[in-house]
Amino acid sequence: MKEKGLHKLSGFPKNKMGKILGYDDDQMKMPSKIIEMGLLPETAFRILYQAPFNGPMYVEFGEEKSRIALREEEGSFIIVEELN
Amino acid sequence: MQDTQKKQVLLVGNPNVGKSTVFNTLCNKKQKTGNYAGVTVASHSGNYAYKNEEVEVVDLPGSYSIYPSSEDEAIFSKFLIDEQKNYAGVIYILEALSLKRGLLLFQQIQDLGVPMILVVNQIDQAERRGITIDIQKFSDALGIKIIQTNAKEQIGIEEIKEAVLNNEFLKTDKTSFEIPTQHKDFIQKLSSDKGLDNEYKAWISISSGVDVDKIESMKKGLSDSEAKNLVPKRLQVQETVRRYQNVDRILANVISKRPQFKELLTERLDKVLVHKFWGYVVFLLILLIIFQSVFFLAEYPMNWIDNFFAWLSAFTGEHLPEGPLNSLISNGIIPGLGGIMVFAPQIGILLYFLYLLEDSGYMARVIFLMDRFLRPFGLNGKSIVPLVSGTACAIPAVISTRNIENLKERLLTILVTPFMTCSARLPVYSIIIGLIISDGTFFGIQYKALVLLGMYLLGFMVALLSAAILKGFIKNQGKTYLVMDLPTYKKPLFAYDFKMVLGKVWEFITGAGKIIFIVSIIIWFLSYFGPKQSPNEVVATNVKLDHSYLAKMGKAIEPAIAPLGYDWKMGVGIITSFVAREVFVGTMSTLYSLDDDAPEGKVIDKMRHDVKPNGEKVFNFATGVSVLLFYAFAMQCVSTLAVVYRETKSWKWTGFQVVMMTGLAYFVSMIAYQILK
Repeated sequence: MKEKGLHKLSGFPKNKMGKILGYDDDQMKMPSKIIEMGLLPETAFRILYQAPFNGPMYVEFGEEKSRIALREEEGSFIIVEELN
Repeated sequence: MQDTQKKQVLLVGNPNVGKSTVFNTLCNKKQKTGNYAGVTVASHSGNYAYKNEEVEVVDLPGSYSIYPSSEDEAIFSKFLIDEQKNYAGVIYILEALSLKRGLLLFQQIQDLGVPMILVVNQIDQAERRGITIDIQKFSDALGIKIIQTNAKEQIGIEEIKEAVLNNEFLKTDKTSFEIPTQHKDFIQKLSSDKGLDNEYKAWISISSGVDVDKIESMKKGLSDSEAKNLVPKRLQVQETVRRYQNVDRILANVISKRPQFKELLTERLDKVLVHKFWGYVVFLLILLIIFQSVFFLAEYPMNWIDNFFAWLSAFTGEHLPEGPLNSLISNGIIPGLGGIMVFAPQIGILLYFLYLLEDSGYMARVIFLMDRFLRPFGLNGKSIVPLVSGTACAIPAVISTRNIENLKERLLTILVTPFMTCSARLPVYSIIIGLIISDGTFFGIQYKALVLLGMYLLGFMVALLSAAILKGFIKNQGKTYLVMDLPTYKKPLFAYDFKMVLGKVWEFITGAGKIIFIVSIIIWFLSYFGPKQSPNEVVATNVKLDHSYLAKMGKAIEPAIAPLGYDWKMGVGIITSFVAREVFVGTMSTLYSLDDDAPEGKVIDKMRHDVKPNGEKVFNFATGVSVLLFYAFAMQCVSTLAVVYRETKSWKWTGFQVVMMTGLAYFVSMIAYQILK
């Protein structure tokens, strides 16, 4: 089984609070925009919606409740854990 | 005006922070505000005068970082850095609801040594969230003057002008980003070697990848693992993370939060507007409402305009002295202008809706909803904005592709956007549909409206299909991604947008009007004169249309267009349309006005009754369909081509677009005519 509570952002359950731990980006393929927009380690987030057919995710994050849209491919660069 | 040097200031900030609203209230100039990343597609500038000082304000495209990831961000960074000598300072706009994100770029610019004033916009929104900002502490921590505004209510605008007048732009000496110690010596040396006034500039030249050749020498003296990590992108990430840590420290002392807050409008609206099912229903409904309004609301003003020009033509025909000038004015120029003016209401309504949607923040949701469906065609969710604005005009649509980060997706969007049914096609479609489709209704909807809707769908389908085909022929350039801010909804600026629409419609009328005016005169000349009919004439004047030079020219190209079912008059119409599609209507008006003994009749009735020499109607169903298809696909707009060339910087792709679109148009129209005739 997977380590307790450790996930990628893509595939993380909807409407659950989570926290960003870091990035999985050895190949340096991750768009720097992800970090520029403020999806940083230690940031709390919640996936509110996802467009049909595995479309983009609608993520609310941070103290300021910013909203961002990103695809599952981008989400798979981000390592997260569940918050209780 | 006094002989004072104009002071130049830049307006800078993230997208969707109300930057353009501040610009508009400052400058009171015609300019588009948008709540969607990418509406301010190029840098605009406006002027204002305050207490005898003339100020030029340059509104730069919104950006999140000094490191560009798209074309409009590249325009932003280049201007900011290259023009530093020429502007007095930067007015940096921060949205109270996203201070953290906004401060990233703020710090980067501050570290470049640029003098700045900070504007915090929409504080009322933050208060509704239970967030209080201690402006005094904030200002001390950043070492800068802060002005609070609510740009939509015009609050704080006067203070900005006063601060600009008094040159209250401030620089800081201490940088907020410490260059990592292991690189410090190298950056210091590079900075003095290049004669830069600032170490951060030297850092940027490495981290943005401009001085790639310097990186090898930078690796000297570093451990293996450090050297391996010495890649521009890694350095950028390192910088961004450190800056955010710094921002967190500052904000912790400045912001206080009450534990509860009300649910914002945005949260309530998005429950429906981005819903898996209802989101799409709403989007479709909005599109339907727009098109319904375009065709039915516009009908009344269109009739007034049409009747007015018919009357004016008859009036001038009667009251001006008989002769060639009379026929030029009443049969040439007036019907030509009328032919285009009549479409102003439709274009205006369409544009107004698009502006309101952009302003409100809804467009970002449309991108969210459409991304998954556009990807199989090689496009990005962001392509939906150019595609939808393409239904108004391809020119701004092509420019609005600049915020698509991936170059291949951007090129594809540019190539297929002109297939969308732009407003210049409307005049042509309306006339032809009026001629070939009957008045009946289907479940209460007119056949004519259904066919028109079909033409819009056809344009959209062909845009998608051609993207799907072309994506196989364009090289991949970089990775495709979608990382996009979803702004809060804002009440659109109804009155302001209305003013903008009037301006745009006026531009359309005068722009098209000028062309049509000239084309009308040329056509009139060519149709008034003809080859000599008796030996003692140089040319024949006041000839029958069939014997004119125009007829000669039209008939010369007839063999090429005969397979499409067109007679020589339509040939003339199509040739003149290569300047711009709407010229077709002006040309037809002029041609048919000249051709008749009773000039006061409506042009459309004359077209309806026109017959070919063999007795067949000129505008029967087969030729009508053929014309519709030709105008749907052919690339007939010089202005769009100019913009496509400017944006792609490639003659190859511009030329390809002309050949592809026009070739397709010829081929499809020919097949349709041959099957239907």
